[in-house]
Amino acid sequence: MGEIEFLRVTRRYDNGHEALRDVSLHFTAGSMTFLTGHSGAGKSTFMRLLLCLDRPTRGQIRVNGVNVAALAPRQLAYYRRHLGVVLQDPHLLSNRTVIDNVALPLRVAGEGERDAARRARAAMGLVGLQGKEQSLPRELSSGEQQRVGIARAVAMRPAVLLADEPTGNLDPMLSREIMEVFRQFRALGTTVIVASHDLALIRSLGERVIALSAGAVVADSNEESFDPADLVDRA
Amino acid sequence: MKRAKGSTDPWPRIGGGFGGWLRDHALTARESVRELGGRSATTLLVWMLIGIALALPAGLFLVRVNLEVLSGEWEGRPGLSVYLELAAPEEVQDNLAALLRLRPEVERVDIVSSADALEEFKTYTDLADVLDALPENPLPASLRVILKAEVEAGGLEEVAAALDGEAGVADVVVERTWLERVNDLSAALTRLGLLLGVLFGAGALLVAATAIQLAVEQRLAEIRVMRLVGATDAQMRRPLLYLGGLYGLGGGLMAAMWVSLALVLIEAPLARLAGSFGQPLEVVAFDAGFFLALLALGLTLGMLGAFVAVQRRLTAIDGF
Repeated sequence: MGEIEFLRVTRRYDNGHEALRDVSLHFTAGSMTFLTGHSGAGKSTFMRLLLCLDRPTRGQIRVNGVNVAALAPRQLAYYRRHLGVVLQDPHLLSNRTVIDNVALPLRVAGEGERDAARRARAAMGLVGLQGKEQSLPRELSSGEQQRVGIARAVAMRPAVLLADEPTGNLDPMLSREIMEVFRQFRALGTTVIVASHDLALIRSLGERVIALSAGAVVADSNEESFDPADLVDRA
Repeated sequence: MKRAKGSTDPWPRIGGGFGGWLRDHALTARESVRELGGRSATTLLVWMLIGIALALPAGLFLVRVNLEVLSGEWEGRPGLSVYLELAAPEEVQDNLAALLRLRPEVERVDIVSSADALEEFKTYTDLADVLDALPENPLPASLRVILKAEVEAGGLEEVAAALDGEAGVADVVVERTWLERVNDLSAALTRLGLLLGVLFGAGALLVAATAIQLAVEQRLAEIRVMRLVGATDAQMRRPLLYLGGLYGLGGGLMAAMWVSLALVLIEAPLARLAGSFGQPLEVVAFDAGFFLALLALGLTLGMLGAFVAVQRRLTAIDGF
């Protein structure tokens, strides 16, 4: 589960700006890919389209063979339950404890209180947040808040894990650990797509890298072997 | 976590089924009550506003129902009052009573002496001291004539006409006039009640909608995150509908309290009014059914207001 295809996807806004231009990409289930490129390259638009927070102007986005842009609202909600999302700003609920934040997707999916808490604790353990269950987000550092966001994303064991600059607030060692967590999920069959500027990290992991520039794919390490730094230079 | 078995759906629903749905409702209800407690000042204000909006039409409804009951009781007993001249001797009263009892339309004739009339007047007014200070009783003796239920209005007029000109008779008052006034008043109150009911009902709905609109704005971050993690529209609406329902329920309770308070305040003058027509004060319709209907109305308007506010806003909230 988690095969993703972008088929000639274009997203043009009302002002004429094209955030993505004729992008065709294929992600096999259980793969891990880094999206890189300068600001405005189209990484966030790519993520938003895959999350169905936006719709392509042209083309199709097929996940497991289904055009997700055409999903009805209820199906869309069920589709999103298969996605784990990590955003640069983790958007934690300030009036809820850490464990309640992490358990939110589980509660939305109808998980019982006890099971949700158990699975939320396990996810928190994966990102080194043991003992912070009853803390409020404001009592945590920005790095810890980011890890809460990651724990929330992986708590559901998603089929697809989307991360937009997930390590922006983390130190290199912790960033590496988080990437190892993502790799563990990849090994379990989760398709992982990470948008990142962290070239050192990307280079060190040796995973597939796609470089975007002005909404277009300018390089894909699946097609040609490149140093990620070169790919970004090209972008 | 349940995933549909053998499903060919590429994105099967992940969810706890009916149990999960019930759990979500229980959790939402708990959190909504907690939220009300957390914003007690706003909650109290909204409850009072909805309560006032519901109390007025509810109060009018009670008045109308009671007037109907009162007029219904009178309609079954058409009658008239024959007031005698102050100087009329007692045998005139007896002779007239005897004469009336012979008529086939008459069911009963009650003799009210001037002393009885004075006592009755003292009972139903606060003028006992003034009346005691008078050198003589200013009230005339009278006959209260109750006609048979089947007697038509024409029969009433016929009896009244027969008494006109009889020696010792000062005035004949047909009670139908009073009845007609009560009926007219009741009809006017029905229309006024309906109009006010619609206006104030809309007011209660708007109060709930505005309160929920504010709650939505305060919950934007939560709604966005919930949407992102796969909450359905129903799941995002649910806590707000509960909140609206609780606002409405509290408003209904407040309305019942306002109406009770009003009844307590007007009980004494009402009792006197009813007594002056020979009726004991018995307010009907303010019972468990009325109370539950007020709560149900409040709940419905609160939830409807919440639905309107949420539906309008939810579609505009999408992503970050």
